[in-house]
Amino acid sequence: MNRYLKDFLYRGLIFGGFGPIVVAIVFMCISLADRGFSLTASQILLATVSSYLLAFIQAGVTVFNQIEHWSTVKSLLCHFVTLYAAYSVCYVVNSWIPFEPMVLVIFSAVFVLLFFVIWGIVYLSVRATSKRLNSQLKG
Amino acid sequence: MKFRLFIDRGREEEVIVYAHEKSRLVSSIEKLVSDNTELIGYNGKTAVRINLCEVYCFVTERNKVYAVTEKEKLQMKLRLYQLEEIADENFVKINQSCIANIRMIGRFDASVSGTMRVVFKNGYTDYVSRRQMKTVKERLGL
Repeated sequence: MNRYLKDFLYRGLIFGGFGPIVVAIVFMCISLADRGFSLTASQILLATVSSYLLAFIQAGVTVFNQIEHWSTVKSLLCHFVTLYAAYSVCYVVNSWIPFEPMVLVIFSAVFVLLFFVIWGIVYLSVRATSKRLNSQLKG
Repeated sequence: MKFRLFIDRGREEEVIVYAHEKSRLVSSIEKLVSDNTELIGYNGKTAVRINLCEVYCFVTERNKVYAVTEKEKLQMKLRLYQLEEIADENFVKINQSCIANIRMIGRFDASVSGTMRVVFKNGYTDYVSRRQMKTVKERLGL
């Protein structure tokens, strides 16, 4: 089996289970805030399965950034597109957002903003550490 | 035997010994400095003798263990954990499938995934896992 595919599946299997846990916590918080909140069995099943797949994909796609023969732009773009597609489909299928053009535009804008803010914070932190390690190597 | 130490960052590091004969002390110094632990790697069916100090890193790929040297990748008969035991203090485990020779690391880079990429002096690259980051930092004195 391809090394990257194996890594994708391995990471997905490890972290996939966190998706339904997060969804359950969110549902619990909503039910505490809104006493009238209720879900049907099929809604719960759909939310559980889709959030598992979402977490699986989210963990697995980090492997894109380790494919050595891919450029930085290509790996970042593939990472972003896969996550965006997974989140959009999951949110629409579960009716967490309505399938309306304006809502999708706002969702996309928020997603892009959050993706790059989180990526920037992590990247800058790792870059600072790598600089310190490089100075130790030279010293 | 007298011992003299000169700290000079501008010169290549070397140890020169003046002795009347090759004593046990001289042999010990030679062993300590030349890092002579030898391993056998395989290039296809050809066995190749390599010094531990020539190895850039040991990696596991498709359940096989390889020693990456300057120009080639030699298959090893030992498992990664066995090599970890043999490897000296210049080696550090950087992820689940790679033990790196610190002396052969060219630089560290931040990768777009938020992991730290290691670029060896021969151009070979791997990454530092989050789990091993603390150990790597400690070994480099951070």
